[in-house]
Amino acid sequence: MLRHLLKLIWNKKGSHSLLIIEIWASFMVLFGVLSLIVYNLNNYLEPIGFEYKNVWVVDLNNNQDTTAIAEKTTQIMQRIRSYPQVASASRMSSNTPFSANTMNNSTNYQKISSMADDYYTDEEFSKTLDLPLTAGRWYLPEDRVSKSTPVVINKKLQEKLFGDENPLGKVLGNNDSESEGNQKTTFRVVGVVDKFKAKGEFMLDNPAIFKLMDKNDKWNKLVLIKTKAGTDATFEERLVKDIAAMAPGWGIEVSYLTESRKNRHNLTLVPVIIFLIISGFLLTNVALGLFGILNLGIARRRSEIGLRRAMGATEGSVTAQFLGEMWVLAAFSVILGLLFAVQFPIMNVFDIAAGVYLTAIAAAIVVIFVIVTLCAWYPSRQAARVQPALALHEE
Amino acid sequence: MLQLTNIDKTYRTSSVETLALNNINLNVKKGEFISVMGPSGCGKSTLLNIMGLLDEPTGGEISIDGSRVANYHDKELARLRNEKLGFIFQSFHLINDLSVLDNVEIPLLYRKTSAKVRRELAQEALEKVGLSNRMKHFPKQLSGGQKQRVAIARAIVGRPEIILADEPTGNLDSVMGNEILDILQKLNDDGATIVMVTHDDAMAQRTHRLVRLFDGTQVL
Ligand SMILES: Nc1ncnc2c1ncn2[C@@H]1O[C@H](COP(=O)(O)OP(=O)(O)O)[C@@H](O)[C@H]1O
Ligand SMILES: [Mg+2]
Repeated sequence: MLRHLLKLIWNKKGSHSLLIIEIWASFMVLFGVLSLIVYNLNNYLEPIGFEYKNVWVVDLNNNQDTTAIAEKTTQIMQRIRSYPQVASASRMSSNTPFSANTMNNSTNYQKISSMADDYYTDEEFSKTLDLPLTAGRWYLPEDRVSKSTPVVINKKLQEKLFGDENPLGKVLGNNDSESEGNQKTTFRVVGVVDKFKAKGEFMLDNPAIFKLMDKNDKWNKLVLIKTKAGTDATFEERLVKDIAAMAPGWGIEVSYLTESRKNRHNLTLVPVIIFLIISGFLLTNVALGLFGILNLGIARRRSEIGLRRAMGATEGSVTAQFLGEMWVLAAFSVILGLLFAVQFPIMNVFDIAAGVYLTAIAAAIVVIFVIVTLCAWYPSRQAARVQPALALHEE
Repeated sequence: MLQLTNIDKTYRTSSVETLALNNINLNVKKGEFISVMGPSGCGKSTLLNIMGLLDEPTGGEISIDGSRVANYHDKELARLRNEKLGFIFQSFHLINDLSVLDNVEIPLLYRKTSAKVRRELAQEALEKVGLSNRMKHFPKQLSGGQKQRVAIARAIVGRPEIILADEPTGNLDSVMGNEILDILQKLNDDGATIVMVTHDDAMAQRTHRLVRLFDGTQVL
């Protein structure tokens, strides 16, 4: 029977070309849509790597005040850390978690260089955000005496720069190290953290580097505070009042990471939802298009169906024949599509992991076969059920 | 071997009801060659379709080899069509995308026959209708008479006991028509039971028995 099918298909190759192109195009569209879905889903399923609950962001704005900024900031930090409600506090560059700001820079180890998100933080950062280390340690106050700036990198950057080599103690260079008032031009790796998806769940796990902020830094005005559970707005009021007393004229604003996360999510989710709606629309179109073409193709062959049943085909074998034909055609179209699709993981297009593309390919194949099966099964069963005499009548 | 008792057939569409067959009784005996005649629209095709289990009667009974065909399921009907019955149609109904040989093999696809045996039986059937030299051709490359001979080969390839032919010469000129009738006659001589619809008196003369229909009623 399979030989019979193949002959039938081969002899009709001309009239099948439209169907093959349709299935092929559907496969390509699905591959694209599914790659994006898998990519986003993969990101979403990766943990963000840090704890944002009970963390507040205090923005210290010195406004017109230009005297002794660094000293005042140091004093404020000491004060903040002394409250019993504060578990830990850390200074940070403006690219705080869930904020709209990003900074990145190229970092190199010997001849290998990689772009990495750049964060300036201090000794308490890992404690404030509960950022566990997978190797080494977070930087300590005594690291400041070293000739190179102590840094912690994340796993992604470690893989890019070091591969299997142990990164601890290694010295990194920076193409643009004068930025942010930083004088040292080399960086010594003291630790590695797993992940830091600062922009939230949908962000890709980018390479990241955390640099120890200069002690006298007066540019970075943000403070992250991890408060103890149960701390409320009364403390926030007191905190703002106390800081204002220490630095007259400064503007002090407090926000919560849980809130900024929500805002950021809303910003990310809107395009994601729009994208999902478009994908759903495309999928429906693909299914309807295939259904239309298959339905028409089968309707045109009613007399063949009548003939086969007159010759002893059961309803089931007629349906099976049409399904078989469509599967062979779908397989052919998918193979054609694969020639294109496999280029993406092979050429590493868009720098997306091969696994994402391969998953998308597998999912696209499954979806194509499900759609083709449903779209061929329903009309062929309908056609097979017609009395053979009636089917033969229509020529 | 094939018995029709009190067969009625009414076609119902949304607006009209046509009584195509009215109380038909017919007993086809083994080895008979019967011709069915009557004006256009009198129900000849309907009768043949019901005999061939391609359509269900509205009333009455059909028996094949003494056993009643009623409430048969799709599978049993398919088996009977496949093993007992062979069809020849006025418009040939060949599948244009298959070669002559592949067309003839079709009935054998629906039983357990190996590809090799299928091939042999199909070649044999084509020899019987004198088309051994056209096996690789496609239907479009054949004349009407040749197409009908392919259809006959397809009808006999499974060695059915009864051959039902609905105006097999209707689309052919008289020379080709006579060739087809010669082949059917030969098959009948070899033991096949044949029921044939025809418009041609001369052809009907060559058969054993004539059934004449008028407006769905058997008049002879
Ligand atoms: N599928 C059908 N639906 C409705 N009426 C039909 C159908 N097939 C045949 N008829 C009607 O039944 C009658 C007998 O048709 P048919 O058996 O084809 O006649 P014949 O073969 O003798 O020319 C005709 O009046 C025809 O119009
Ligand atoms: Mg007719």
